[in-house]
Amino acid sequence: MIDATIDADVLVVGGGGGGLRAAIEAHAAGARVLVLSKGIVGKSGLTQTAVTGFQVAFGCADPRDNPSVHYADTMRGSYGLANPELVDIFTREGAATVEDIESFGARFDRDDDGNFIQRRLDSSQTYPRSIKKGDSLGTPIMQALRRQMNKCDIPRRHEILVTKLLKDGNRISGAVALDFQTGELLEIRARSVIMATGGGGELFPVNSNTPDSTGDGCALALGAGADLVDMEFILMLGHAVMFPETVRGVLFTFQYLLDKGARALFNAEGEPFLSRYDPEGSDNPPRHIYARAIHGEVRAGRGSPHGGVFFDPGSVPLETVVDALPSQTQFLQSFGVDMRQPIEVGVAAHYFCGGIRIGPDSLSTVPGLYGVGECSGGPHGAARVGGNSLTEVLVFGKRAGRHAAETAATANAPTNDPDEVETECRRLLGFLEGSRNGPRPSEIKKRIKQTMNDHVGVVRDAAGLKEALDAFEEIAMRNLPAMALASPERIANYDWIQAIEATSMTRVGEAVARAALMRTESRGAHYREDHPDQIDDEWLQNIVVRQRGKELSVSSVPVNSATYGEETG
Amino acid sequence: METFRLRLHRFDPKHDSAPRYEEYEIESDGPLSVMQAICRVYDTVDGTLSLRNTDCRRGVCGICSMMIDGRRRLACTCVAQDGMTIGPPPNRKVIKDLVFEMD
Repeated sequence: MIDATIDADVLVVGGGGGGLRAAIEAHAAGARVLVLSKGIVGKSGLTQTAVTGFQVAFGCADPRDNPSVHYADTMRGSYGLANPELVDIFTREGAATVEDIESFGARFDRDDDGNFIQRRLDSSQTYPRSIKKGDSLGTPIMQALRRQMNKCDIPRRHEILVTKLLKDGNRISGAVALDFQTGELLEIRARSVIMATGGGGELFPVNSNTPDSTGDGCALALGAGADLVDMEFILMLGHAVMFPETVRGVLFTFQYLLDKGARALFNAEGEPFLSRYDPEGSDNPPRHIYARAIHGEVRAGRGSPHGGVFFDPGSVPLETVVDALPSQTQFLQSFGVDMRQPIEVGVAAHYFCGGIRIGPDSLSTVPGLYGVGECSGGPHGAARVGGNSLTEVLVFGKRAGRHAAETAATANAPTNDPDEVETECRRLLGFLEGSRNGPRPSEIKKRIKQTMNDHVGVVRDAAGLKEALDAFEEIAMRNLPAMALASPERIANYDWIQAIEATSMTRVGEAVARAALMRTESRGAHYREDHPDQIDDEWLQNIVVRQRGKELSVSSVPVNSATYGEETG
Repeated sequence: METFRLRLHRFDPKHDSAPRYEEYEIESDGPLSVMQAICRVYDTVDGTLSLRNTDCRRGVCGICSMMIDGRRRLACTCVAQDGMTIGPPPNRKVIKDLVFEMD
């Protein structure tokens, strides 16, 4: 049933910032690398959409800043749940990673003396620390990574969806994948596999991600027996545009205008409200507080017509807006948004703080399997501090690439289990069988999103989370097996891709809901209305999700207590 | 509710001898990007339509670049207008419908 078999030392799954950084490093370390992306390698993923945050403690804006202060800010911002070892690594190695990216051809903004221009994103940063490039960091970073990937001529294939990870005993041995363009099924034999598949923002109806952010990496890693960690913490931002529909979910980082005299967010009654929700009483609190505050105003009937609140860019001169946020302003204006009138802004799912539980070399709990970037967990704990994502994805991408190449050099040639391969091929081809008469994949996705939005979003409680788990069980038992595709064709069948994604999303949604139900407190990005207090005596613990057989189990463990890549039995 | 009619490129190399443009009607309560309009056709009218849905949605990546009313434009940043014709750039090998070889 397999149409082609491909060999690689290091298989990189994902063609965004983390995948490219890992691939470049693994190639430099002498490995035969293969990069697969379900999109276009180097042009898909979320790194390219990064706008204004990239924290590296150069101390250009304030000489008192250094990696230790960045470390302390990050640990505090993670509400004590980030893995300290990982935070220590990425705060210290951030500077070298900026140097790498510049050596690949990017150049970040500097002042006349050649020092980086560093800005403050929000009150979580002790000193202004975020470097910049205009108001869109992602584009120059991806350009540099693409240039380096092309220079090294790293083998890559576009529009290949990895659908299952394969193991040889306890060790990772490869993967099965579907080629979207041809409909062919591929078997990959690899000594190391690096997952850099991004997050799962698409599990929510309003999100700042791309439609392919369906949590595939977490679902695949669960299936391979890897631990996931911190899945209950999903960062919901309060600065997404809510209207018009064309730009719903697009981020507008108006926080930069608050320093410049812009009026703080206000509700339908024209009142500012953020300070009421922030324990510190700030009108520009850490970002997850924004989401809860807006959610609270909307629920109290003081929201805007499309489920948000208001920000008024007209409260500062247009030049100030354009100067601070040129490309965002241009994008919104192209869809007719009037930058002289109040804009409806609201909550959008932005970032999965948790994911595949990784150690210092980005290695998961399964030998040979790595996690990089948003699909990984450990660097951010209960809430990712703004501007840490680029730092972390590039630092751990590099580490994963190097370690995976070194491991691959000594690992035996992998053997995939032919029965496992055949079972997976049957599952994939089963989606095309005509006997199914249930809903289309897009309808199931809609149900998953509604469930997450209603019960696993900004505000949670036990009853709602149990309802969500019931819904996911019903989707898994009844909807997915009956799912009917619009076409049985193999070539460029997007329904086929969506059917596989919907299956992953169901698993990931269940993992999030299970972890959220277990955590009977509120912390960081996780808020339980029935347990509103943060309980440090009991809950300075990470929650780990594992799959054994078909079932998911959750357990709480002390922070940084895992053994990575060892035999776990 | 606003009604949009869009003419979309259809071609299945396995069954068709030549490409054609087919007209679809969708509804929306506000403006849509061309990309959103294409997705709406796929979601609500004809699920056999092949499309790429892995672009950045904000004018950065260029994956959704296609011919829109005779001009090469990004489907994600172009506002959909009633009567638009949408297809692949010229001289590009078409894999199926709106999925074609990239640059």
